[in-house]
Amino acid sequence: MESIEISAKSEEEAVDIALAELGLSRSEVEVVVVKRGRGGLFGLGSEEVRVRVTPLGLLSNEGVDVGGMAKEVLENLLSLLGIPASVNLGARESGEQAAIPFDIVGEDLGILIGRRGETLSSLQYLVNLIVSRHFKARAGVVVDVEGYRQRRYESLQFLARRLADQVRSTGRSVTLEPMPAGERRVIHLELRDSPYVTTQSIGQGDSRKIAILSKGNSEA
Amino acid sequence: MKELIEYIAKSIVDKPDEVTVVEVPAEDGVILKLQVAPDDTGKVIGKEGRIAKAMRTLLRVAAIRKGTRATLEIISDSPESSDSSEDSS
Repeated sequence: MESIEISAKSEEEAVDIALAELGLSRSEVEVVVVKRGRGGLFGLGSEEVRVRVTPLGLLSNEGVDVGGMAKEVLENLLSLLGIPASVNLGARESGEQAAIPFDIVGEDLGILIGRRGETLSSLQYLVNLIVSRHFKARAGVVVDVEGYRQRRYESLQFLARRLADQVRSTGRSVTLEPMPAGERRVIHLELRDSPYVTTQSIGQGDSRKIAILSKGNSEA
Repeated sequence: MKELIEYIAKSIVDKPDEVTVVEVPAEDGVILKLQVAPDDTGKVIGKEGRIAKAMRTLLRVAAIRKGTRATLEIISDSPESSDSSEDSS
C-alpha cells in the first residue's frame, strides 16, 4: 500500500476520508500534515488542510499491524511513566525478520536509558512481550532513545575492531565486559569476517560476555 | 505507578480481568501488591524472573518521576508456582 494525500476542511475530516479510502484505522497509519489550512470567515477565503496518510504496514499480519500497536504500547508506557516524549518510527529495512525501529525523542531522557541502558532494555523487552503476546508472533521491536543505541553500537564496532587488532598482534585472547544480547550481536557481526580472530559468548545470564580469540596460524 | 503495573500485567496475562494491584503505604514510599489468576503467575514473573525484573525497572522510573519509592510484590496463592515457570519460547 502507498501513502495518499487528502485535502479537507479540517485535519480530522481529511484523516477520516483517507482512512476510509485505505480501509485502515488511525493506529495503523502515520499522518503528516502537508499543508495547514486557514479557517476563513463562514467558509469564505478558507484554505483546506492537506494531509499525507501512510500505512505503517509493518509485518502486516492479516490486516493487523504490529508497528502500529507497538507504537501505541510505547506511548502508553511513556505516559504511565510520567515521561513526556514522542515516539518516532524509524526507517525499516526490508525483509520479513527486519526489526521495527522506534526512536523516543524528548527532553532529559537519560532516566529512560538507565545504567548501561538497563531501563531502555526493560522497556524494549516489555513492548516486545506485550506485542508478541497479542499477535502470537515475534514482534522484533527495537527501541532507541535519542539515538543512544545507535551511538553505543557504533562505539562497540570501533572497540571490536581495535581489540581484534590487539588480539592479532599479541596472539592473546581478550574478554569484554558483560553485555546484553543485542550488544554482543553487534560485536559478533563486526568480526564475523575477520581472517584473524573469532568471537565467542561465554557465561550465563547477566554475566554473559564476549571473548575475542585468535584464530592462530594453523588455519589455512 | 499502580496504573503502570496494571497496564503491563493486563497486557501479558490470559485473564486480564483477574489482575489487581493494591497500593500499600510503606516507610519511604509505597508497596504495590500485584495479584493475578493462579495460572498467570508465571506470566508476570517470567523465566528467571525476567518479566518481574523489567517491571521493577520501569516502576523505579515512574517512582523517581513522582519523587517517591515503590516496591513491587507479586502475590502468589499457590506455593508451587515459583519464579521459574512459563515463557520458554
